[in-house]
Amino acid sequence: MTKNDHDVIVIGGGPAGATFARLAAQGGMDVLVIDKRKEIGVPVRCGEGLGVGELVKQGLDIPKRCYSTQVEGSKVVGPNGREIIWKTDDTKGWILERKIFDKWLCELAVEKGAKVKTYTRAVEVLKDGKGKPTGVKISHGGRESYDVHAPLIVSAEGMESMMARQMGFKTVHSLYDVDTCYEYEMKPYDHENLIELYFGNKIAPRGYVWIFPKADKKANVGIGIGGNVVNGKKLGGVDGAAPKVLLDEFIKNNDQLKDASTLLDFGGVISVGAPINEFVQDNCMVIGTAAKQVDPIHGGGIGLAMECGVMAAAVAIKAHEKKDYSKKMLMEYDKVWRAEPGKVVAERLLLRKVIEKVSDDDFNHIFNTLTDHDLKAIMDGKFAGPVTKVLAGRPQLIGILSALIPGKK
Amino acid sequence: MITIKHDGCILCVGCSSVCPASAIEVVGTRMKHFPEKCIDCGLCVKICPANVICMYKGVKNPKDLPPEARG
Repeated sequence: MTKNDHDVIVIGGGPAGATFARLAAQGGMDVLVIDKRKEIGVPVRCGEGLGVGELVKQGLDIPKRCYSTQVEGSKVVGPNGREIIWKTDDTKGWILERKIFDKWLCELAVEKGAKVKTYTRAVEVLKDGKGKPTGVKISHGGRESYDVHAPLIVSAEGMESMMARQMGFKTVHSLYDVDTCYEYEMKPYDHENLIELYFGNKIAPRGYVWIFPKADKKANVGIGIGGNVVNGKKLGGVDGAAPKVLLDEFIKNNDQLKDASTLLDFGGVISVGAPINEFVQDNCMVIGTAAKQVDPIHGGGIGLAMECGVMAAAVAIKAHEKKDYSKKMLMEYDKVWRAEPGKVVAERLLLRKVIEKVSDDDFNHIFNTLTDHDLKAIMDGKFAGPVTKVLAGRPQLIGILSALIPGKK
Repeated sequence: MITIKHDGCILCVGCSSVCPASAIEVVGTRMKHFPEKCIDCGLCVKICPANVICMYKGVKNPKDLPPEARG
């Protein structure tokens, strides 16, 4: 048997990996975190929104430098321009500075004793004769690779999840289960410290445009559209989803933004499908976005990633104490996750699949009918009330909306 | 195989997340394509938010790319 260099190797130093590392180290494990990026948190490829809930639950006090501004709630806008403003204590949050926030989470892990190595890429998962992971071949700064061994490998790789694939997890995404996004940081934009979301099949087919307020009259203005949407010709004449084209169109038609400057172009692809079937195998776990633990409605993954880091670390510590890293032992994390956050994610996925069938005219009816209370009920998974209200004015929607009513699936 | 215009690439790894053949990976600070694994499905082209990926169906060796695609 090979000698172990660490108790656990975490691949990826994002919110999931850093949270896992912090708690595992605190629980007495020898933790190595590797991140392929030269700098933790860079490049940013995210709208940077995070609700207050998860940090409060973990007892973390976010330093001022980690966020650009605080938000009070959200403003949801229908195709006809009708707004629903939703602002309560539960809707507070931050627009983060991800570069600084992610690094802060890693620093917390380091303070608890975890070892973090940047610019270090996992090249290959090492396996024993039975195919169980025993370590990772890693390469620092593109130099010659070497082997590091641990009885537990945690993939917190995010969207790419190449090592998770090598460990046998089905992490590849279909076009239908991703949104492709483009985003500008823009200035000046007078905002009301609300997250603004614009819906409509013309504006953003199977997705939405977002305006996330930032400090000093700045805003992240972005769009996410279904990966299977075709709205442009790509290089080589291939038909595909061109989010930038639609975002530019939206900006051209927005009184405030049409003359604003762009300070940064960025983009990304986010998972909006179902989580992977199993999060664990013998000697390995997949956490966060790598496990597709992302909200299918808004594509947010930071809160879920951190929550999952807590759950996975608790199980890893138990496994470490019993020296048992079998799938059976690690499966508890899978069960705990699916019982709680998993339920919410499943409801949101159902909602997403219903929303994508709604026409702009029906959308307008829905926006004219619903209030902020209904919006809250929907986000809490209590669909019955709002659905009844919508159907009262437009019964023909029953075919689409019945999927949301229990027992009628 | 595909080509990637690295200048415009925003390193979002969307292409590798949808690649069924694991033929695109981040290496160092850029995306790297492995033509020998590529199955010419074009999903990466369709998804790329920065529109920097171009597909050359049937080409397996970068030497066989048309002159404008090399470099």
